[in-house]
Amino acid sequence: MDQQLITGYAPAPVAARMENHGASMLKVAMQSGQDLFARTGSMVAYEGFVQYEPNPPAVRQMASQWLTGEGAPLMRCSGDGLLYLADYGANVVCINLNGDSLSVNGTNLLAFDAHLQWGVERVKGIAKFAGQGLFNVGVSGTGWVALTSRGTPIVVDCGRGEDETYVDPDALVAWSTGLKVKGKRSFKASSLIGRGSGEAYQLGFSGQGFVVVQPSEDSTDRLRARG
Amino acid sequence: MAREFQRGHKAKISDLTAGRDLYIGVQVAGPGLTFDISCFGLDADERLSDDRYFIFFNQPKSPEEAIQQLGAQAGDTESFRVTLDSIPSSIHKLSFTATLDGAGQMSQIGSGYIRIVAGGEEVARYAFSGAEFSTERAVMLGDFYLKDVWRFAAVGQGFDGGLEALLKNFGGQVAEEEPAPAPAQGGAPGFAPPGQAAAAPGFSPPAGGPSAAQQPQPAPAFGAPQGTPSQGTPPQATPPQPASQAPPQHTSPQPAPAAQHTPPQPAPGSPQMHGAPTIAAPIAPPGQVPPPGQTPPPGQVPPPGPPGQFPGQQPQFGGQPPGQAPPAPAPYGQPPAQPYPGQPGPGQPAPYGQPQGAPQGVPQGQGQGGAPGVQAALAQYREAPTGQRWTPQNPRLMRVDLGVGGQPVLARQGTMVLYQGKVDFSYKGAGFRGRIVGNATGQEMQLMRCTGQGQVFLAENAAELHPIELQGDAICVSAESVLAFDESLQHEVRRIEGHGIPGGALFTMQFQGTGTVIVKTEGTPVVLPVTPTTFADSNAIVAWSAGSQVIISSQVRLRRAAYPGHSGETVNLQFRGAPGNFIVVQPYEV
Repeated sequence: MDQQLITGYAPAPVAARMENHGASMLKVAMQSGQDLFARTGSMVAYEGFVQYEPNPPAVRQMASQWLTGEGAPLMRCSGDGLLYLADYGANVVCINLNGDSLSVNGTNLLAFDAHLQWGVERVKGIAKFAGQGLFNVGVSGTGWVALTSRGTPIVVDCGRGEDETYVDPDALVAWSTGLKVKGKRSFKASSLIGRGSGEAYQLGFSGQGFVVVQPSEDSTDRLRARG
Repeated sequence: MAREFQRGHKAKISDLTAGRDLYIGVQVAGPGLTFDISCFGLDADERLSDDRYFIFFNQPKSPEEAIQQLGAQAGDTESFRVTLDSIPSSIHKLSFTATLDGAGQMSQIGSGYIRIVAGGEEVARYAFSGAEFSTERAVMLGDFYLKDVWRFAAVGQGFDGGLEALLKNFGGQVAEEEPAPAPAQGGAPGFAPPGQAAAAPGFSPPAGGPSAAQQPQPAPAFGAPQGTPSQGTPPQATPPQPASQAPPQHTSPQPAPAAQHTPPQPAPGSPQMHGAPTIAAPIAPPGQVPPPGQTPPPGQVPPPGPPGQFPGQQPQFGGQPPGQAPPAPAPYGQPPAQPYPGQPGPGQPAPYGQPQGAPQGVPQGQGQGGAPGVQAALAQYREAPTGQRWTPQNPRLMRVDLGVGGQPVLARQGTMVLYQGKVDFSYKGAGFRGRIVGNATGQEMQLMRCTGQGQVFLAENAAELHPIELQGDAICVSAESVLAFDESLQHEVRRIEGHGIPGGALFTMQFQGTGTVIVKTEGTPVVLPVTPTTFADSNAIVAWSAGSQVIISSQVRLRRAAYPGHSGETVNLQFRGAPGNFIVVQPYEV
């Protein structure tokens, strides 16, 4: 076989629990006893012996409010081998939590170690916001988390200036817990006559920490188990 | 993220990537110039003692296929595959060179680069340009050399004499009198060793070597068994080095690689082709022995990375540095001192990520493994503040500092992803006349005006963004490709007339004045200079300099158009203009 075109794409040796393979694929070194939660449907390949349990009871409990009416979009992966995950070509960022805690937009969470503390939290202030209804997953502890971002994300420090940092909720990927969050409605009289600026609603962050933002406002939940 | 090399920079390969199966891409080009890009496999004395390790167009692979020439692909003029673990121990250095074929000199080349791709990711890039050279006819681009471990050095050294002189420099001989470039035309193997010499086509594996080289194995001792008589060894092509020198080097050390590759413990049930995958194999080999999956026998590797997903997004936009600016050069990416599995982060459950038999010895440059913590992992994505008004944060995200310049910015509605400071977003109407014109022409922009003090980050649908700075000149951009612009610019709808267009004419938005326009494209665009024969699809064109004249060229072919399933390319735009004008085309038709 002529493998000219595929040179350079062989997997690099395993160096860590989670690694990037290219910009948009995640490689996880699985080992029995160390399970992983991943978005349902995100597996693109695996080597070795890995089993998947969609919607495990533990998750169902935790994520009962995540998406009402549907199963929680998480599966528990266990076994030995190499697992490759991806989300429609979105960039993957893997983070080794070291006692930190992070609040991740549910749509942008790709995978995390099962032994981390996590919980579904609802973002205050925009509970009634339609559409993706900002549900966040708070993750903390020591272990690995992988996020997705449509396009290279950017990390902005809050609390640098005297003013708050305002983010379009559709472009928000994650933030460090500890920031104060509040909704801001930029509403003016002109908006009422159909002359909105297109930026009607923002989340304001204040305090010490950072915000991760993706360069896209498309927050469609692509990963969804079929059938 | 690719590490940028400057001339003279050196680094261990293991610091760049954990991969041992590398793709080397070289791009070099100049108007009217052709290049031979080759790789010299040199011994410890930097001599080309074995001609079989001179990898060039006529000899595209070394005997054990550790070095293979792959040809042009993925934007690279020439590419190679180097499997570090199967390079015989007699080879201490791989020197990648580009030589001019035909007339010309190195100062005429445009920009070029040599890059390393491994694990699906570009890990290193050394960019150069013609300005660094003068009358040279060859240039040594970069070296892989063995000093305890394999390292890469960005050389970028010009060489006067061309391929012939380069070969002599390395101790080879040009056996035939014909000048160096000659082999390019004829199949005459100027430098090929006897074994391969007569195989004029050059690319078919000649009798002696490669066919047997599926596994790393003792290369046939030089000279002796190889000169298969059937090939009729041409007398000129005798090996440049006396046979006495070469053979001893090859016979003894060669078997070593073979021994290394046998997996220490054959994973039961694992398909032979991919030892790496299965549970134990990738991980188990203690120490330096690479997993067998890394050096798969040819024809067996199924890498997961889909081809075509090349990370190379070179800035290609009219010479200005588009959004590449990576915030901070991935500092966490190269903490070489930290072999990952050796020290799990404090408090980290020991077994994590350190799959069985922890390869303690493997130095880990790559990676997230190095420094735990959120801050470290995100360091490469940090905001890059500069004092400028428009700052690309990455290819898809633009930061505008409203405080600099003091004038408002008009941006497409809904493109703000984040802002800091006191910024006010207000509706920007086009005015009564503007609405009428916009509606009628389709060149309507839903804009908002950003005023105040602070920084606004703009992006839309992860489209690539390109700032174009106008200094009194003008540019035509189709309205749906405009992301934002300074309010100081005048814009108006311009009409392109032509027959055969549905609706009678095409419209575009023309910007004029002093300021910056941010243009967005789906995918990496191409910027073409306007020549007498420059055409573009009206659906894919993004922008063009207003100095060029646009003509509609419709291909009217009644016979084809009468049937369903005609070519579909009926209305093209032709551009005419003085040199210096350009057009921008995106790989996406709206």
